[in-house]
Amino acid sequence: MVTPRPESPEQYLYFQNHLCLPMQLKKLETGNASFDHISHGGLPQGRTTLVAGSSGSAKTLFGAQFLALGIELFDQPGVFVTFEEQIDDIRKNLKSFNWDIDTWEKEGKWIFVDAAPKEEIIVAVGDFDLSAFRIRLERAVKKCNAKRVVIDSIGSIFTQFHEETHTIRRELIQVALTLSRLEATSIITAERLEEYGKITRFGVEEFLTDNVIILRNVLYNEKRRRTIEILKFRGSDHEKGENPFTINPEKAIVIIPLSAMNLKHVSSSERVTSGIPALDEMLNGGLYKGSINLISGAIGAGKTLLVANFINGIREKKERCLLMAFEESSEQLYRNAAGWGIDFKQLEEEELLKVICLYPEISSLEDHFINIQEVVKNFKPDRIAIDSLSALARTSSDKGFREFIIAFTSYLKHQEITGMFTSNTPLLAGGTSDTEGNISPITDSIILLRYVEMSGEMQRSIAVLKMRGSKHDATIRKFSITDEGAKIGQHFEGISGILTGNPMLISSGRD
Amino acid sequence: MHVFQLYINGHSLNSIEAVDTLLKICRENLNGDYQLDIIDIQKDPDKAEEAGIIAIPTLIRMKPTPVNRIIGALNVRSRVLAGLGIPSMLK
Repeated sequence: MVTPRPESPEQYLYFQNHLCLPMQLKKLETGNASFDHISHGGLPQGRTTLVAGSSGSAKTLFGAQFLALGIELFDQPGVFVTFEEQIDDIRKNLKSFNWDIDTWEKEGKWIFVDAAPKEEIIVAVGDFDLSAFRIRLERAVKKCNAKRVVIDSIGSIFTQFHEETHTIRRELIQVALTLSRLEATSIITAERLEEYGKITRFGVEEFLTDNVIILRNVLYNEKRRRTIEILKFRGSDHEKGENPFTINPEKAIVIIPLSAMNLKHVSSSERVTSGIPALDEMLNGGLYKGSINLISGAIGAGKTLLVANFINGIREKKERCLLMAFEESSEQLYRNAAGWGIDFKQLEEEELLKVICLYPEISSLEDHFINIQEVVKNFKPDRIAIDSLSALARTSSDKGFREFIIAFTSYLKHQEITGMFTSNTPLLAGGTSDTEGNISPITDSIILLRYVEMSGEMQRSIAVLKMRGSKHDATIRKFSITDEGAKIGQHFEGISGILTGNPMLISSGRD
Repeated sequence: MHVFQLYINGHSLNSIEAVDTLLKICRENLNGDYQLDIIDIQKDPDKAEEAGIIAIPTLIRMKPTPVNRIIGALNVRSRVLAGLGIPSMLK
């Protein structure tokens, strides 16, 4: 039989993808759930993956986490080779993540191979090889029967022997071959100089080509944004594109898997009350369970009042609600709610309500997301209210905020949590904000609260702009805030232009 | 008195060349006033581990201090002498 031979690069690729290689190579679960998710199962097993990133992009942490989780979750020993940082420094730096490396070393589960620069001056006279390093690496791997190996970072060996880059390049190919013979799943980290450019500084990717991951730490609009991108896994599937990640003090690197979000969540037809019967009527029976609802309005238009009622609505079915307040202290919130006849304290005592007040600036959006997930996991709320989303948007770039919203709403829908978010409009009478531009396509309903100036008087209005999958009241109604809470009145008859902020009386009595 | 450690890997070409050159230097430039320890990483990997050896051959001058290292086959004698701080006059 004649084996077909590729004649062009395209054909070669075709052969490789369709004829020669089995498409799904086995993967090794790393134990970092979010990474295993975007990589469709982990790192290619028994192979070497290049992790490239600029300085400060968390390469070392990525590698260390890979080893630590291997020991903690799968009892797989690991070898950590350092070409750059001194071992003592690494031990110290990693202590903050509660990884007990000292003990693991004593138990023979974690072995350091020290290849960091020495104090002494090194000169090169004549040809050399890195066989000593290879032998030491092999010994360490065999000694602890390592399943995982990290080499951090390969770029610094070029700096250690800066006049001999040609030799180093030749020798690193040998190291790569040794690793593949040892069949350990390995990570080699490498420096890169620009966030978007050549993969690595010394062209390591030329011989470590099969699997490449890029970590980025981009400064944009005075804000840092960390992302991870799996550039390629030869012969194996993965999510494409950049996914934001954050460094959590307990869980180290946590990725927010944007590209892996799916729209397969269940859409409930069950309704829950908004806490205001008249508003439920406008919504044709209340909010959908597990829906995302946005309240848009200028300052003082009654957004927090609607949120308070939304929270009070949990009484009906003994639901639980989490309130994330980014603008007011809990004291203020309790006082305001009490002023509208709603008792937050009692709800909290019954453990139906949990109020968390934070300044949005204390952490990045990604961290807020992780924190909220953690609270949701423990508290298991049926509802979540965020007051306000606009305050949260301050902490991040536009792109980052959009991604957060997508990830967050998708998360809530998976958990079937009914969400109510508020958003500030910059103008008193109307208009929209950037926050809304980002979120409105994702919401199931939008409720507008607007000021209306009529005959020298400020009045409030309420309208349901959108209600996915249901009819709703299309009228703009009077809305007032009284001692007993929210009152929804008749619709503004014979007036147009409320939404644009220029209300005008229409004289023709059409009604 | 000069004290050296030379790390080699079995009978690799670079190793043999380095041993030869170094022995010659010791004989001809140091008048026998030296101590040379040749360590084969195949036989004594623990020592290589301890000293953090990466490259083969690696020559460490332990004394006189400061300690310094020369890697490579040592095939340019004048440069080795310079690197070790041995005046070629002693010949």
